[in-house]
Amino acid sequence: MTYKIQIDDLVRDANEEETALIDAQHAASKARDKAEADKAKAKAALLDKLGITANEAALLLG
Amino acid sequence: MANEQTTVPLFVAAEVLTAADMNLSAGTGVPVFANTTTRDAGFGGAGEKVLAEGQLCYLSDSNIVQYYSGASWATVGPASAGALTFIKSQTIGTTVTSVNVTSAFSATYDRYLITLSGGTCTTNRALNMTLGSTTTGYYSSYMYVSYASSTVVGNASSNASSFLDAGVVTSNGLTGRIELNNPFNAVRTEFINFGAGLATNQQPIIGGGFVDNATSYTDFTLTMASTGTMTGGTIRVYGYANS
Repeated sequence: MTYKIQIDDLVRDANEEETALIDAQHAASKARDKAEADKAKAKAALLDKLGITANEAALLLG
Repeated sequence: MANEQTTVPLFVAAEVLTAADMNLSAGTGVPVFANTTTRDAGFGGAGEKVLAEGQLCYLSDSNIVQYYSGASWATVGPASAGALTFIKSQTIGTTVTSVNVTSAFSATYDRYLITLSGGTCTTNRALNMTLGSTTTGYYSSYMYVSYASSTVVGNASSNASSFLDAGVVTSNGLTGRIELNNPFNAVRTEFINFGAGLATNQQPIIGGGFVDNATSYTDFTLTMASTGTMTGGTIRVYGYANS
């Protein structure tokens, strides 16, 4: 994918090295998003198993 | 300093005005004093003008212009004395993935405020921040509570390639306030971020971190944290006066 990068007022296409850096940042964000979604999914599954809501769980934990 | 004086003379009728007298009273326009002590001693003495409302002066030690209100001295300028000083702004271009802002940091300030406003973005997400050409050693974490939930969520990143979520981007605009402490000084740079997303599926965030090196930086880059581009909006950089 070609990214457009801006340096002060100059806008140009990213070179190979710059593209790799942006790709790395995007991949890291994607991994974090997935970990977060997995955690939320596991939490929802546990609440479902216990038969309580998130608010009820929060009340139980004080 | 050639312009500094210790008195503001009062001339009397028939007095001979020498070149030195004229250079002192008229040459500088506004009387120049080394500091407030010499300023106060320069008025009201024998052969000196009595201090009165409207009098101006310049103080060399603090580089400011003052006026006398009739009761006390007040500073005219520069407005930056002891305040937040605007350094530069950068308008974001069209459909760009990252923006590099150069000449933002210098020896003049230790701490900086960077604000994001306006513009639009194709993806409701965040902007990561990097300093100079450093692509490793960023430690940051943040927490947020989504507008649709009361659950506090935390996120952390160690030895990453950027500071996480320095700003929030949505189709309704870019938001964020970033504070950097010591980006120019050759010590670790502290990073603090806070902002509130302008979309119903977003959230306010607050976080912080540091970069694990002692590099001196003059520029920073904001990059889309995920695919998508931004268009328009303004990045502004301010410096906190050191004294």
